[in-house]
Amino acid sequence: MTTSPPDDPAGVGEQEPTTDTTAELAARAAESAGAESWSADFGSAKIKVSPSSWVEAVRSVRDELGLPFFSFLSAIDWSNEVAVGEPLEETVEERYEVLVRLSSDRTSDGVTVSTNIPKDDARLPTLVDVFGGANWHEREAAEMFGIEFVGHPNLTKLYLTDEFEGYPLRKTFPLLSREIKPWPGMVDVEDMPSTENAEGAAAASVAPPGDVQEQAMPQGDTTKGDEDGVEGADA
Amino acid sequence: MSQTIDPMAAAHMSEVAVSVELQTPGMTLNIGPQHPSTHGVLRLVADLDGERIVNVEPVIGYMHRGYEKLSEVRTYPQITALVNRIDWVSGFANEIPLMVAVERLMEIEVPERAQAIRLILTELARISNHLVFLSSYPLELGAATPLMHALREREHVLELIEGVTGGRFHPNFNRIGGVKPAAGGGSTQKKVAQDLPKGFLAETRAAMDKVVAVCDDMDTLVSGNEIFRARTVGVAIVPADKALAYGVSGPNLRASGVAFDLRKHEDYLPYDQYEFDVVTGENGDCFDRYLVRVEEIRQAARIVMQAIEGIPTGPLQAKVPRVIKVPRGETYVRAENPKGEMGYYLVSDGGRIPYRLKIRSASYSNLSILPWALKGLIIPDIIALLGSLDFVLGDVDR
Repeated sequence: MTTSPPDDPAGVGEQEPTTDTTAELAARAAESAGAESWSADFGSAKIKVSPSSWVEAVRSVRDELGLPFFSFLSAIDWSNEVAVGEPLEETVEERYEVLVRLSSDRTSDGVTVSTNIPKDDARLPTLVDVFGGANWHEREAAEMFGIEFVGHPNLTKLYLTDEFEGYPLRKTFPLLSREIKPWPGMVDVEDMPSTENAEGAAAASVAPPGDVQEQAMPQGDTTKGDEDGVEGADA
Repeated sequence: MSQTIDPMAAAHMSEVAVSVELQTPGMTLNIGPQHPSTHGVLRLVADLDGERIVNVEPVIGYMHRGYEKLSEVRTYPQITALVNRIDWVSGFANEIPLMVAVERLMEIEVPERAQAIRLILTELARISNHLVFLSSYPLELGAATPLMHALREREHVLELIEGVTGGRFHPNFNRIGGVKPAAGGGSTQKKVAQDLPKGFLAETRAAMDKVVAVCDDMDTLVSGNEIFRARTVGVAIVPADKALAYGVSGPNLRASGVAFDLRKHEDYLPYDQYEFDVVTGENGDCFDRYLVRVEEIRQAARIVMQAIEGIPTGPLQAKVPRVIKVPRGETYVRAENPKGEMGYYLVSDGGRIPYRLKIRSASYSNLSILPWALKGLIIPDIIALLGSLDFVLGDVDR
C-alpha cells in the first residue's frame, strides 16, 4: 500500500506551470534524441526525428528521460485527397507520420516521438527490440496504413483477415457502407445551417451541447433518444 | 520432442521402468474463439509440449469495428456514443479522456459540479468493472458462489449510474463542456441545477456500504481459499520492467509493484481534492492482480463518498458554441480507466470532425503480454492469467 508521490502536478497550477514543464520536457527530449524540432502545444510534448535515427531516438528518450512505459504506436496519413471525412484546409506534404508515445512510471511526463516517412517508400525499422509491446502496435499500423516495419518478427495481419485487401485507415480508403448508403447522421456533418440561425430540425438532431438543450428536450427526453435515432434510421 | 517421464508417474506404471524416454510429439491446441474464459471472442493457438506451453499466439480481431475510421466521419458529439462501446463494462469511463481532449483543444473550462459528477460516475464505473472481475475470476477458477455476491452488489451500483444517466452500460452522458442534465431534469437552468436524482446521497451511501461489505466477503470467501491460492499465487508473474515495456497499465501494472496511477498524476479530473491510496502488489502474480482490484474497490468507494458529500453547486455546462468546431492542433489525453490507461490522440484540422483519432485502449496492450507471460506455464495457467488480466474484447479490438 503506497500513497501518491510528493511531486503531484495535478492542481499545483492551472495553465502556466504545466505548459512550462511540458515545453522543458519536450526540449530535453529533443536534445537527447537529436530531434529536428519539438512542440509542447495543448499539454502534449512532441518531438520530430528523422526516420534514419528512429530506433536510436526512441531508445535514448526512453533511457535518458526515464520514460520506460510504452503507451502506443500509431500513424497519421497526411493526405490532400480524402475519401472519407473532411479534407485538410491547407495543402500538406503527402506523408505518413508515425508516432510513438512514451511515458514515465513515476511522474506525469510523457513524450510523443514522431517521424515522417514518404508514401512511396513507407518503411521504418522496427521498435520490437526497444519495446516488446511494439510488436502488436506495429502489426496494426502495418495492416491499417501499409507501412512496413523492417525487422519485425511477425508482420502479419492482426485484426483483418488474411484475404483483406487495402489499408483501411488510409485517407484514400473509402468507407464502403457509406458509399452504398449515405449515413443518416451525415446531415450533422455536412448540411449544417449557419451557427446564427440554426433553428428547428437540424439543431434538434445534433447531440445537444449547451444552449441547444432547451430545443432538443421536447424532441426526445429519454436519454437513449439520440442513440436510438441513429440505429433506427440505419435499419 | 522428447521428455523424461516423471519418476512418480513412472513408478506408478511400472516398478521397474524408472528412466523411460517417451516421445511426446508437439501438439497445437486451439482455444476459443467461443470460450467462457476469453471474455468475448478471443482465440488462442497454443503450441504444447505435453502440458507445457511452448508458445501461444492470440488471434484477435473478431470484435474489430473500426472505430478509428468511423470517428473520421462523425462530429465530436456523435463520437461519444461510439466510445461507450469500446470497454462496455465501464462505458462511462471511456468518454472522459475524449471529452477532455476536445475541451483542451477548444480551451473550455468545465464547471466544477460537472467535473465532480464525472468523477463520481467514473469511480462508480470502476467499482462496477471490478465487481464483474470479482464475479468472473473465481468462477473461471471453479468457485461459483462469489459471483452471486459480487453481481448482486454491482446491481446497486448500476442502478446509481442509471439513476443519473438513464443508461446502465452506455450512459452517453458527457457533453463537450460538461454533462447532460440528468434524466428527469428540466429545461431551465434552475431546474437543471437539481441534476442528481432525489435521494442520490443516501442511496449511494447505502450502495457503498454494501460494496465495501462484499469486498470483506471476498476476503473471507476467496482470498484465503486454498484452491484459489494454489491456482494463482506465484502463477504467471509479470515483472515490472516487462509490464512497462509492453504497455501493461492500470491494476495489472500496479500488481507488479509499480505505484503508478494516472489519477494521481494527470489533471483530467480533480482527483487531487480527495484522499485515496494507490494500491500496489508485490509479486506481480495472478493473486496480486486479484488482490489489487479488491482493494481498489474500497478506495473507489472512499473517493465516491468524499466527492458526493463535498459536491460543489453550479452549472453543468460551460458555454460552448452550438456547432462544435475544434481548433487546429493535436493532443494526447489519457485517463486511469478501470482497466488501465485509456487515451485519445486527437488530431484536428479546425473542423467539426476529427482528422485522426487514435484510440489507445488498455486491454489491447494488457493482452499483448500474453505470449511472453505464458511461455513455459501449463494449460490451466492460461485461464488463470487470462482472467487476472481483466480484459474485454471490445477494448482489445475497438
